[in-house]
Amino acid sequence: MTATRTATTQHTSSAAPSSSFTGTATLVRFLLRRDRIKLPAWTAGFAVFMLYLATAIPAVYETEADLQGATQLFHDPVGRMLTGPGYGFDTPTLEGFVANGYGLYFMLLSALMSILLVSRHTRVEEQTGRAELVRANVVGRHAALTAVLVVALVTNLAAAAAVFVMMVAVGGFGAAGSAVFAAAIAAIGVAFAGVATITAQLTEYSRAASGMAGAVLGAAFVLRAGGDMAAEGGNALSWTSPLAWGQQTAPFVLDRWWPLLLPIALAVGAATVGYVLAAHRDVGASLFTVRPGRQRAAPSLGTPLGLALRLQRASIIGWTVALAITGLVFGAFTDALIDALGDMPEAFVELFGGTEDMIAGYLSYMAVFMAYLVAAYAILAVVSLRSEETTGRGEPVLATPVSRWTWLGSNVAVTVGGIVVLSGVTGAANGLGAAIVTGDTSYVWELTAAGLNHIPAVLVVLSVAVLLFGVLPRAIQATWVIVGYGVVVGTFGPLLELPDAAYEVSPFEHAAEMPLEAFSLQPLVALTAIALVAAGVGMLAFRQRGINVA
Amino acid sequence: MSEQTPAISIQGLQKSFGKTRALDGLDLHVEGGEVHGFLGPNGAGKTTTLRILLGLLRADGGHARLLGGDPWSDAVDLHRRLAFVPGDVELWPNLTGGEAIDLFARLRGNLDHARRDELCERFDLDPSKKGRTYSKGNRQKVALISALASDVELLLLDEPTAGLDPLMEAVFQDCIREIKAAGCTVLLSSHVLAQVEVLADRISIIRQGAIVEAGTLSELRHLTRTTVTAETADPADRLSGLPGVHDLQATNGRIRFEVDGEHLDPVVRELASLGVRGLTAHPPTLEQLLLRHYGDELAARTDTSAEAQP
Repeated sequence: MTATRTATTQHTSSAAPSSSFTGTATLVRFLLRRDRIKLPAWTAGFAVFMLYLATAIPAVYETEADLQGATQLFHDPVGRMLTGPGYGFDTPTLEGFVANGYGLYFMLLSALMSILLVSRHTRVEEQTGRAELVRANVVGRHAALTAVLVVALVTNLAAAAAVFVMMVAVGGFGAAGSAVFAAAIAAIGVAFAGVATITAQLTEYSRAASGMAGAVLGAAFVLRAGGDMAAEGGNALSWTSPLAWGQQTAPFVLDRWWPLLLPIALAVGAATVGYVLAAHRDVGASLFTVRPGRQRAAPSLGTPLGLALRLQRASIIGWTVALAITGLVFGAFTDALIDALGDMPEAFVELFGGTEDMIAGYLSYMAVFMAYLVAAYAILAVVSLRSEETTGRGEPVLATPVSRWTWLGSNVAVTVGGIVVLSGVTGAANGLGAAIVTGDTSYVWELTAAGLNHIPAVLVVLSVAVLLFGVLPRAIQATWVIVGYGVVVGTFGPLLELPDAAYEVSPFEHAAEMPLEAFSLQPLVALTAIALVAAGVGMLAFRQRGINVA
Repeated sequence: MSEQTPAISIQGLQKSFGKTRALDGLDLHVEGGEVHGFLGPNGAGKTTTLRILLGLLRADGGHARLLGGDPWSDAVDLHRRLAFVPGDVELWPNLTGGEAIDLFARLRGNLDHARRDELCERFDLDPSKKGRTYSKGNRQKVALISALASDVELLLLDEPTAGLDPLMEAVFQDCIREIKAAGCTVLLSSHVLAQVEVLADRISIIRQGAIVEAGTLSELRHLTRTTVTAETADPADRLSGLPGVHDLQATNGRIRFEVDGEHLDPVVRELASLGVRGLTAHPPTLEQLLLRHYGDELAARTDTSAEAQP
């Protein structure tokens, strides 16, 4: 508040010579004021993440041997794919394990934070027309972009400082290595701020701009995943990825500073391109022209089912791709598990049903773990149907000769279809991953069946969401409790030595644990019957209630 | 539609949301083939009434009939015969305007392609843009075109021109006249008084969940005052003594006053005798009609707030 007041009384325009950067300082303060919650929250998030690691890792891996066992998982090719080049995993130290095992995720976060920050203050502002309001004042052509980049730099430095403090003060890690680690996080963040500066110039829509920058980040992840998996310490492929540049500093192992010149060069280069592009276009315009969509609706879009399918299509495709990749990776972990069997902490062995049939136990757990994720999809599908209602998009549809029964029924039918596809595909991907690393192709069929086996449990979750949608729509998010409870019981139940009754309540605990156990039809029939009743009651209640009232 | 069945017939409609009473004994009567203005400020209960007529909400009490059927239990059948344009049109961000128009019309079961293209042209709408890129006015056009392109008996329009510019509002008015000529009934809810004045055969004014006035525009005007401005040769002070004359102001031979409808004749005769050099008289605008109702309410509010403060 004070910042704005001082700025207006300064009469900058008459006092100082005007340049294309006039007003930058005021805009920086303005942005900091607008983001006064968001930026401290991000910084605090970084601090808490490191605080958690610095306290939890020593607590979980009490002995040298425990740490060695955990490092084993990260050291293997699949582990390297998910974590990084694997520096210092031969002779693991606590700080080396934290920095080189989890560093990738700090960098992903700082990159994401920077992309969202730049997008929010450039393209969103233009899209909403607020940028015009600012530019109509005594503000230079480059002032807005410069202010955003300054704020991005400051925020990344703040996040890095928070991480550094936690490492040194809480973890008691060495200052030199902690400094390299923190600097790498900031450098990667700033590099992606530069990338977002370019993408913000390319399209008229902030979502597309963030999406493009996000795609660059995704590509960076995949490139380094390939390179790091292929060779310990990464290979030439890794070095094409900005994320790898941060990891190649190898904190606490090599403590190299020079790889950070690369992300800094990228940030400067990308920002320069951003300035040039911005100077060559009008406010609100973009370099890519907007592609017009269909003038007329396709014949499929004209029935309630067609509409439901169209609205859920993108979500089903996205979930299928994401879960297929996850399934493939978890399946591919099977081999590493066989190797690491002896060194595993006790907790893992318990979770996967003891040492005798560990592989089948692991894959059975993965099948039910995937069912938790499919259940999350099911809940989100019903939640988004609720938001169709509350945003007012459902109302005009229900004002046509589409009955409530048909509207809700079509949407639920599409979601059921999505559940079947997701369960089958993730099961198959899980099996494919296991088959690739073990050479045993029978896993593909076994795990597809194991995936499909959990469909009735997911249908129970879906039906509870539908029940709440009909009876008490504002409580629809309560459905998450079932999934949360299922995860806790299914994952920690053996450790907590829970009574049988605790398992009975979770819908995920009734189907046979395939491939560990043989298929059993009876529990599936019971689960499906429960789902049908709950969904039926929900649909009947929906016919009786008002639309868009709490 | 037969002449006997009214398009909409509502008696004593009640609806509460928690402690808020949205509708408090609302009566509304709309004949087949008429354009009926449903006028009132925001929050008076217009949208709630429409949502009950669409079977989206269930009334707490009273009777409502729509095209001879029950709005709640016959909803699907009734919806084949009507089209609805909401006040706040929300579109799917990833569907184009054209897709949304076609979707609604197909769900209604009667899309006239030629009419749709003609309407897109007249309303100057680019149907190939995605929903998220449309302005409020353009989203409104999508819903309007979809409704107007369907061959229906009844149009329920909730503040249909809130985001339209004056040019598009003129197009809208033409379209309403055309479909009225084709025999369609229109319930036009609005707080834009000029729009209702131009289009409506009859008007119902709603205030705090109940109808306070209903009738043709001339019937309603009969209830209120005409504003007269005149330039006269002789001083006009004595007019102020006549019955029915209010707020007379005289400056440099120009006078301005309001006169009650039933006293207009003697006042004009008296005025003529003063040597009229210039004269304008205009009927009450709907603003004045509304002001009379909400003026009372404002006065009442001021009183209560005065009482509340010791």
